[in-house]
Amino acid sequence: MAHKAECEEALDRLFEYIDNELPDDELIRIGEHLKSCPPCEAEHKINEKIKRMVHSTGGEVAPGDLRSRVLATIREARTVE
Amino acid sequence: MTATDFDFETEALSFMDQLYAAALRMTRNGADAEDLVQETYAKAFAAQARFTPGTNLKAWLYRIQTNAFINTYRKKQREPKRSDAEQVEDWQLAAAAEHTSSGLASAEDAALDSLGDDEVKQALSELSEDFRMAVYLSDVEGFAYKEIAEIMDTPVGTVMSRLHRGRKLLREKLKDYAAERGVKDHKAAAKKTGKEVQDGA
Repeated sequence: MAHKAECEEALDRLFEYIDNELPDDELIRIGEHLKSCPPCEAEHKINEKIKRMVHSTGGEVAPGDLRSRVLATIREARTVE
Repeated sequence: MTATDFDFETEALSFMDQLYAAALRMTRNGADAEDLVQETYAKAFAAQARFTPGTNLKAWLYRIQTNAFINTYRKKQREPKRSDAEQVEDWQLAAAAEHTSSGLASAEDAALDSLGDDEVKQALSELSEDFRMAVYLSDVEGFAYKEIAEIMDTPVGTVMSRLHRGRKLLREKLKDYAAERGVKDHKAAAKKTGKEVQDGA
């Protein structure tokens, strides 16, 4: 089933839209389209949700001994200088 | 800006947690990740004079770490060739420009809620390195496309295509994981909405 040119544009630009990488005029145009097109909005929601889910997997903290190893490395480099 | 009002050491060290988290995604193993971060700092401090205060230190450090990973660790890690992943995706990309039926989309959306961090991490770790790191740098670290291009030493267009492909694959994997979890309403919804919903036309 053929869909409208606006759908094609919105789906094509969806990641850039989600990543906030679009110039204002395109951002607004695609935002308007998403509001008026449930299937495109559904795609938008899913991709945005996945981005959020991936985001929340981050945040590991460096082990304490790594911190001391790095500091030792730097100090060593300083004394060589 | 002069050396006196820019404390390179303090600034650089403030990114250690983030570099370590990224190193875990690169090496997929804690011991290698620690070695990689240590190597990154050694290289960064050796190259300190080449850093221009006022420019993006975080991206600069990530770039060093990416290069260190490529030179030291990638060779010893037997990754699937990228072409494997790319073959999978061409058909997925072709299908990507279409809507899913709204019943399937809402089932997929709901099924995602059943997944925990560990499954998402696992799915991400299964992507080939270039896709994995592009998605990681964008979604977790919030780098702009231009910064990712700088870090990965590749044109912005390539970053966009890696993100596009990586996310498509990730979404497929998450769908599979959710299905494995026994989310069967997916199928039920597919049966209910046999036809594409294209309203709003």
